[in-house]
Amino acid sequence: MSRDGPIDGDAGDAPGRVVAVPCEGADVLALFALATGEPLGSVPVGSHPVHATTTADRTLVATMGERSVTAVDPGGEVTRVDTGVLGPSHFASANGDLYVSCSAGDALAVIDPVELTLTGRVGVGAEPHELAVGPDERRLYSGSRRDGVVDVVDTATRERLGTVDAGPEARVQGVALAPDGHRGYAVDQDGSRIVVFEPAGHGGEEPDAPATRVGHVRNAAAVGADPYDLVVTADRVFVPGRADGTVHEFSPDLTLEAVHEGFSRPVDLFKTNGRWWVLDAEAARLRSLDGAVVDTSAPGLVAAPVGGGRLLVSHYDDDRISLVDVADGTVWTADTPAYPFGAVVV
Amino acid sequence: MVEKTPETDDDGSGDATRRGLLRAAAGATVAGAASTAGCLSVTTPADVAAEYAVTGNVAHFVGPSWPAEHRDDAVVLDARNAERFREERIYGARRVPFDAITSQRSTDDGAVPDADAVAAAFGSVGVAPDDDVLVYGASVGSRVTRTAFALAAIGHSGAIKALNGGLDGWNGRLGTGTRREVSTTDYEADPAPSAWVTREWLAERVGSFNDGGPGLVDVRVPEAYLAAAGSAALNDDHERHGHIPGAIDVHWVGNVSGRRMTEPGRLVQLYEGEAGLDRSETVVVYGDDNVDPTSTWLTLRAIGFEDVRVYDGGFSEWANADDRGRHPVETATNVVVETEGSVGGDDNSGDFSCTG
Repeated sequence: MSRDGPIDGDAGDAPGRVVAVPCEGADVLALFALATGEPLGSVPVGSHPVHATTTADRTLVATMGERSVTAVDPGGEVTRVDTGVLGPSHFASANGDLYVSCSAGDALAVIDPVELTLTGRVGVGAEPHELAVGPDERRLYSGSRRDGVVDVVDTATRERLGTVDAGPEARVQGVALAPDGHRGYAVDQDGSRIVVFEPAGHGGEEPDAPATRVGHVRNAAAVGADPYDLVVTADRVFVPGRADGTVHEFSPDLTLEAVHEGFSRPVDLFKTNGRWWVLDAEAARLRSLDGAVVDTSAPGLVAAPVGGGRLLVSHYDDDRISLVDVADGTVWTADTPAYPFGAVVV
Repeated sequence: MVEKTPETDDDGSGDATRRGLLRAAAGATVAGAASTAGCLSVTTPADVAAEYAVTGNVAHFVGPSWPAEHRDDAVVLDARNAERFREERIYGARRVPFDAITSQRSTDDGAVPDADAVAAAFGSVGVAPDDDVLVYGASVGSRVTRTAFALAAIGHSGAIKALNGGLDGWNGRLGTGTRREVSTTDYEADPAPSAWVTREWLAERVGSFNDGGPGLVDVRVPEAYLAAAGSAALNDDHERHGHIPGAIDVHWVGNVSGRRMTEPGRLVQLYEGEAGLDRSETVVVYGDDNVDPTSTWLTLRAIGFEDVRVYDGGFSEWANADDRGRHPVETATNVVVETEGSVGGDDNSGDFSCTG
């Protein structure tokens, strides 16, 4: 994912905001008041909900056990949108369309988020996972876990322009673009590597090259064991190594700047209040890269910044969520249905 | 009791094989001493009839009594290869021009059986549209069932039967040597498109299979269905591996137990109980090619499924389709129904395809 600088601003306790949490083990979207953590109810959404996104006043939920995604209106009305292919996983918006990777197949479903209809599918490498979109929304990048490639999709024509080969035996998990769109990155989980590639239309030697140009791999670097996701900013690339408790920090061209050690199972990073905070799936705390610690009620697997120096943390294995202020600690904790995953604020 | 005597059915100059002679000797002995056959450790025609009899409410598959009762009015087709046919066959059988009955033609919707070519192939061996036909092989493998399907696809109006047990299920006269000349017929096809589906028929229904829409069965080995990395079962000619979304995998070999069809009660349990198919709904079967899935096509029809169709283009066509988004494949999260079947018959008998 791309994160350009700190995520601060609106206070996380704005009245009326609702936290929507896909609970993978209970097949529901659980709702809570952001300000207090008060449970507001739950909505059945289908098998294995994992990620959600908000668009057109709706919350759309990717249900990996279905061949559909589920849209929940503000009034709680539920609409299923068929994808035709099993395993909807990650969302990305581009040019008014909503793309969702069908991770049990080899396609991206393209959904009209207003009409709630399937408008097409784009064939990509098998078992697509994370998606990234260029800043001009003309290109979408889809990582393939089985084929080890990043597919480049023209969002105007919904056609695959080509692929970036991440290397032999690669299993691409995380995919991200630099905030200016001039570099693309892919994490090879099996090879414990990261590659930087040239996005279409942003060649270093031809910065104004036609948009149909498909990039090539510029460089690659080793990272910690069992990497999954990555964070890309204007001047840094971070890759947590889940199995060896490290976070590799690179410059944009993948020159290694530092290896941060001592984590248990780091899974993600967030910059807030001037610090980079590391979410750890096996430690009940947030720890910053410079050593500051905020205790939490349980380890966190997924988190979402909500502004005001606060993070919404899903404690997947402990069936609860927390609102955590990196300055003041846990604001509230609430029990959830089983296996809360990627929460969003509505 | 039918005497089992090897004969050539060309001009009489062919020699019976040693195996055939030995069988003939056994048959001759039994013919005169059936009551003592058990003591002599030989197989009697009665034993054969009992072993390969088809009981219960089963369509299409018949035991040895059927050809015995219809010997004068049915056309017998041998689905094995030419070598096996020359070696030994049911007396009077005609060899199926097998490649021709798998012919396809291209349409905008994908490959379909070439009904005219298939009809011409049957006409070349003297089959007429209203003939009752018995087809056999070394067992009841997919060459036999493809022959049955090909007849159905061209609207054959006569009976279509498959001999349970294959050649071993025959307890009558044998022939050998060069095939006999037969008078050709002008077989005019009456295509039965309800017997097959096309790539686009499937594409229109992606997402509904086995989930409110038609049943869909992948008959290939699980490794091909699962796209198991490094497996020899993966077809190098395929641009993609996996299966059509929603398909369940039931390897077609589960339809066969040695040389005979699997016990019907077990088949009902397999397809209705374990695979969860509905006999009153449309069920589509597919494999890599258009041969192996016909085993499941005929088997399901035999046990009472009402609307069974073959995707004649097969996964080979689907995997190599240009518009991948319209023709997606799935690789993860799968349903494999375990089977225990085995296909009998001599090695290289040509009775079943190894491409599935």
